[in-house]
Amino acid sequence: MPRVAMSEGDLAQTSSGVAGEGRASPAEGEIAVDCRKLVKRFAGGSVVALDGVSLTIRANEFFTLLGPSGCGKTTLLRLIAGFETQDEGSILVHGQSLDGLPPFRRPVNTVFQSYAVFPHMSVEENIAFGLQMQRRSRAHIASRVKEMLALVRLEGLEKRKPAQLSGGQQQRVALARALATEPRVLLLDEPLSALDQKLRAGMQLELKRLQNEVGITFIFVTHDQHEALTMSDRIAVMNAGKILQLGTPAEIYERPTARFVADFIGDTNLIEARRVGPARFRILSGVEIEADEAGPVGDEVILAVRPERTVLAAPGQGPLAGTIEQIVYEGTDTTYHVRLAPGVRFRVCEQNRGGGSPRFRQGEAVSLALPANAVRVLVE
Amino acid sequence: MSNARQRAGLLAPSMAVIGVLLVLPLGLMAFVSTLERGPDGGVIWSRHTLDAYLQFLFERDLLDNLVLNTDYLQIFARSIGLAATTAVLTLAIAFPIALWMAFQPPHRRTLLLFVVTVPFWTNLLVRNYAWILLLRNGGVIDRLLQATGLTHEPLNVLYSPLATGIGLVYSFLPFMILPIYVSLEKLDRRLIEAAFDLGADRWHALIRIILPLSMPGIVGGLILVFVPCLGAFVTPALLGGGKSLMIGSLIQLQFGQSRNWPFGAALAFVLLALILCALLFHALRYRRLAGRLV
Repeated sequence: MPRVAMSEGDLAQTSSGVAGEGRASPAEGEIAVDCRKLVKRFAGGSVVALDGVSLTIRANEFFTLLGPSGCGKTTLLRLIAGFETQDEGSILVHGQSLDGLPPFRRPVNTVFQSYAVFPHMSVEENIAFGLQMQRRSRAHIASRVKEMLALVRLEGLEKRKPAQLSGGQQQRVALARALATEPRVLLLDEPLSALDQKLRAGMQLELKRLQNEVGITFIFVTHDQHEALTMSDRIAVMNAGKILQLGTPAEIYERPTARFVADFIGDTNLIEARRVGPARFRILSGVEIEADEAGPVGDEVILAVRPERTVLAAPGQGPLAGTIEQIVYEGTDTTYHVRLAPGVRFRVCEQNRGGGSPRFRQGEAVSLALPANAVRVLVE
Repeated sequence: MSNARQRAGLLAPSMAVIGVLLVLPLGLMAFVSTLERGPDGGVIWSRHTLDAYLQFLFERDLLDNLVLNTDYLQIFARSIGLAATTAVLTLAIAFPIALWMAFQPPHRRTLLLFVVTVPFWTNLLVRNYAWILLLRNGGVIDRLLQATGLTHEPLNVLYSPLATGIGLVYSFLPFMILPIYVSLEKLDRRLIEAAFDLGADRWHALIRIILPLSMPGIVGGLILVFVPCLGAFVTPALLGGGKSLMIGSLIQLQFGQSRNWPFGAALAFVLLALILCALLFHALRYRRLAGRLV
């Protein structure tokens, strides 16, 4: 069931149970991929690419591995595909262990970042390749190729060579080729990163549609948080070979559990604070604010607040006083950079509902209010 | 205008080199092939005749009639056969080596490339003499085989077509390895991964992906081996014992003992024409192929 929504109402429905543990409850459906304590080291053991990653991906899920380059997400994908071998741990696909199986015996197919479409074969030859390797009958191959061409909307181009296709069309060939053999899991290694912005947006919708139509598990690797948020059913945020948080896009965005996740996904204001009451925090300037999350008094914590959840008001109306240092007009939004104290800045983002002119001017004194349900408490 | 003159001026040195070293000697030889042979070598510069080309296919009988003579055609056919066999054998040995080299870590690749080119550093003659020492009866290989009990009598390989073949394959191996290696090294490794991913085992990845994509290197290597092999005369003379005449030896003979310069020149030009035709055919075919690719 694809879910792209990020509103609070949806969040309330879906936040039951899965956030933050790196392991999902299998009660919600069959498990497609089960990674158990995967460790992968490179360069003779000096570089740890994966540091004990455990992960369960459900059948027919659009699952995204999100993280900066070098976080281990591509390594994890290559372990599942079989291009690399893990040093420790094991991988199961639909209950079958993949350990020791070469890539050509695994029920998974890959869509590569650089497409990797065979340049000496026509579009239909590319799509037929996997089926030929499975020694399917000519008739079966012909009908399946036709189906795939229709699925990725490349009818009429079957005789073309890859060099005669645009980047987006080559991408579709790579998709059709990988889907033709009906793999149980499709691995996508940053497949959209080589496309330009417009094409990319189109292909995002296209991928979602494909996943709905073929009804198989997609594991999607990207460093683009926007892509991850708009396409995924669930996201695993990775850094330094570990999964930091696992959840729906809304959970990841609204309720980050680690400073890295809050910082990496979207724009976030991070302030150091000390817990002075069960749900009361003193931030640097001595001002106290409330948050919805209770915990032991005395903790040094980091508070994370999204710029669009912060309320900007006239002086005295909110608990935090500051001056507007900079105004950045961004088309749909305007971002105000507010100085609270020397060296402490806060970004507030407002949608431009009332036309072009900003509500405040540069240098104007303002106040900020942080709604208690907008403040995330991150324990270092 | 001054731009064109400048360009001509800059090109002049290289054009002069090509003119002096290529066009001039070839032109001279073409001219020589249309002259009458001198009584004791050389040519008579004032007498023009196409006898040299006629001699390639015909001989005169006692009644001065032209009769077809296939001796020289046979030598050509034998040489082409030997060159083709050498090229194919070289390919069979060079391809696995090039494939293995291309998949080594980069620093080791550089070292291996260096090792492949080491034979170029010594004279071809010296290397052929080395093979004589290796192959002759009582030589290293012979004694080794007898000592291990694999053979019980002299090998008798030297001065046979087999020895010529071994010598030629050995001499031309680097010319086959290098172009194939270059095309394999350029090959996108993701394509091989994609083939594995789609269910191709090693064998199918090789014949469906690696081999077709390294075709330019293979064809280049075949040309680089086949063409010079046709004209080779050192190896057939030394290792083959000059028992069966090859084109290269035949041409060399005309300028040496036979003292028939026009015929030697004519033979060289027949060979040149054959090779040019073959290359042209390949170029046209390849262009059509490339046209389909792009």
